[in-house]
Amino acid sequence: MGDLLRVEGLVKYFSTDQGLIASRLSKKVHAVDGISFTVRSGETLGLVGESGCGKSTTGRCLIRLLEPTAGTIDFDGIDVRALKGRALQEFRRDVQFIFQDPYASLNPRMTIGEIVTEPLAVHRLGTPQERRARAKELLDVVGLNPEHINRYPHEFSGGQRQRIGIARSLALKPRLVICDEPVSALDVSIQAQVINLLDDLQDQFGLTYVFIAHDLSVVRHISDRVAVMYLGKIVEVGGWQGLYDEPHHPYTQSLLSAVPVPDPAKQRTRERIILQGDVPSPIDPPNGCRFHTRCPIAQDICHHQEPELRQVAPDHEAACHFAKPFPIELAAVAPGTEAADAV
Amino acid sequence: MALLEVSDLKTQFTTRDGVVRAVDGVSFALEEGHTLAIVGESGSGKSVTALSIMRLIPDPPGKIAAGKVVLRGESVLDMSDADVRAMRGDRIAMIFQDPMTSLNPVFRVGFQIGEALRIHKGMSRKEADARAVEMLDLVGIPNAPHRAKDYPHQFSGGMRQRAMIAMALACDPDILIADEPTTALDVTIQAQILELMIELQQRKGTAIIMITHDLGVVADMADDVMVMYAGKQVEYGSADAVFYSPQHPYTWGLLDSLPRHDIDEKGTLLPIEGQPPSLIDVPPGCAFHPRCPYAQAVCRETCPELREIEPGHMAACHFAGTDSLVRGRVATAEGEVR
Ligand SMILES: Nc1ncnc2c1ncn2[C@@H]1O[C@H](COP(=O)(O)OP(=O)(O)OP(=O)(O)O)[C@@H](O)[C@H]1O
Ligand SMILES: Nc1ncnc2c1ncn2[C@@H]1O[C@H](COP(=O)(O)OP(=O)(O)OP(=O)(O)O)[C@@H](O)[C@H]1O
Ligand SMILES: [Mg+2]
Ligand SMILES: [Mg+2]
Repeated sequence: MGDLLRVEGLVKYFSTDQGLIASRLSKKVHAVDGISFTVRSGETLGLVGESGCGKSTTGRCLIRLLEPTAGTIDFDGIDVRALKGRALQEFRRDVQFIFQDPYASLNPRMTIGEIVTEPLAVHRLGTPQERRARAKELLDVVGLNPEHINRYPHEFSGGQRQRIGIARSLALKPRLVICDEPVSALDVSIQAQVINLLDDLQDQFGLTYVFIAHDLSVVRHISDRVAVMYLGKIVEVGGWQGLYDEPHHPYTQSLLSAVPVPDPAKQRTRERIILQGDVPSPIDPPNGCRFHTRCPIAQDICHHQEPELRQVAPDHEAACHFAKPFPIELAAVAPGTEAADAV
Repeated sequence: MALLEVSDLKTQFTTRDGVVRAVDGVSFALEEGHTLAIVGESGSGKSVTALSIMRLIPDPPGKIAAGKVVLRGESVLDMSDADVRAMRGDRIAMIFQDPMTSLNPVFRVGFQIGEALRIHKGMSRKEADARAVEMLDLVGIPNAPHRAKDYPHQFSGGMRQRAMIAMALACDPDILIADEPTTALDVTIQAQILELMIELQQRKGTAIIMITHDLGVVADMADDVMVMYAGKQVEYGSADAVFYSPQHPYTWGLLDSLPRHDIDEKGTLLPIEGQPPSLIDVPPGCAFHPRCPYAQAVCRETCPELREIEPGHMAACHFAGTDSLVRGRVATAEGEVR
């Protein structure tokens, strides 16, 4: 399948001063700092990384909710950054966004029928009757009772509200949906309902997803390919299996080893790589490789030379001077053997 | 005698819509140096259980309606207010989910950690300050003497959480109650904090009650696990028993709805269908029956008692441990599904 979305050198800086004295000396938040990736038609690209690494900013730049500082975004041959007027409107029909917070993202004064078809109203599509019919259809698609069309958001649970948000995002038959932490606020049992729904809808409508989340297990489950971000950079990207089975970046390795798995025997024997310190500030990111301040294998070169993303296996790239398969000890190992080897 | 014994605890809130039975008959025992994990869906009564033990239920609207909480033979629910204040922070300390709610923004971090020591241990300002620095150092805050003089907003999220742990552990409590201590944190920071708690427990023999919805964290930390649903205990046992031979269909649902990255295949997620019940209008019979694929007539009528299925392993399900309840096998009129 061809590429639906192609992102090249995407940069987004935020200026930190609010006043009028915007000087060239003012510090900038390097939220996204030169990332490139592609999303193939019909696939799900997962975007993972810790809080503040730039996932949401990336998602928002893709649909021009934010204007990028630099870089190109190509959606099915269209230069997204150059879009204006009608063309931009049309683009906004093709690309939709699902927000993290199912409570804050729905207008409490609108009925769910109105919420779900709001995009149709905005784009002046259909008669009121047609919109009502479409609202019922959409509610049915996401597993809600179409008879509830006149109810208000507060009458629904968190998982149901997230379904309402998903129904709204489907109203205009989009081709690409950016899902920003769509299940993070939900209980596990409800989370699974929404993940399965997103899976079904993808099959049914041939949707392409960019799925943003910090939960590595959720991302692995839903994604075909996965990009791992750290401090505004993509440090590793590839097919889900290669990336999870054989991470080639020490950050990915430590992330995977840090997630506890629901299996007491595995947890008792597992090697955990505990990273020291906190994520550095994106206002003043470290020189060289951004991960070097916490990296267990950093060498001199990592302090001053930034590693480029390079291919390490088929459909698998990593940005590390010392990229190689780093073992993930999910099975039992004697403490201090494999991990010592990796370091 | 166990360090802490809770029996048949019932805590209720009177609201405009009716009485919320937030905790409805919970019992467990906690031994020294052990970790009990409490898991369950949002609103199932985990925090209220913890707050009841600490006697921190706001009254009104809340009230501990029945039950016993016994700490080293002493009844907590019968203590005078002064005794409860002396217990809190000294013998039982709690880490709250949101560190900003328990760190006061206008006082320096070191001063706040020292406060409990001045109150409970009668330390001088100077002694308490020195001990606060020691505690910050212990929880891995770099350059602790310096950072103790910072205000909470100058700390990152992970550092605040560590400061909270330092505060909770300053007086060497017998019991540490941690309510979702790592939920707001990134996984690499979570790993640091969990490691820290395990280390301190091994060194000091602290008992821990760990409230979480993360079954990975439970597998990592817990000796015993209590699963709650709608204010009731539905399963209780050792971590190995609950993970490897779970007995209650709700526990099965929790385990089966979890995506896992430690298993080769991407299995299908089996969500628990339906929605958690309202605690004002709890379904009659077993509260889980409307969502339970195995439910039968009796489940709609009679609330199952918590009973022992295997030694030390209890479940509250009419059919737990019987041949008519087999995980993944639902008998229907059309035959078996799943
Ligand atoms: N409007 C803004 N003004 C200034 N800084 C911003 C703005 N939006 C985001 N940032 C900063 O940019 C960085 C990246 O933020 P972003 O929201 O993209 O992170 P994220 O990866 O989505 O994190 P999370 O997992 O917490 O949602 C952060 O340091 C954040 O504080
Ligand atoms: N002050 C209060 N007034 C009324 N109801 C309350 C009060 N505090 C708690 N409740 C109710 O008690 C029930 C149990 O709440 P609790 O906070 O123990 O849930 P929880 O299991 O900790 O959930 P979560 O995982 O979301 O933290 C909920 O239905 C809640 O709405
Ligand atoms: Mg975000
Ligand atoms: Mg709670």
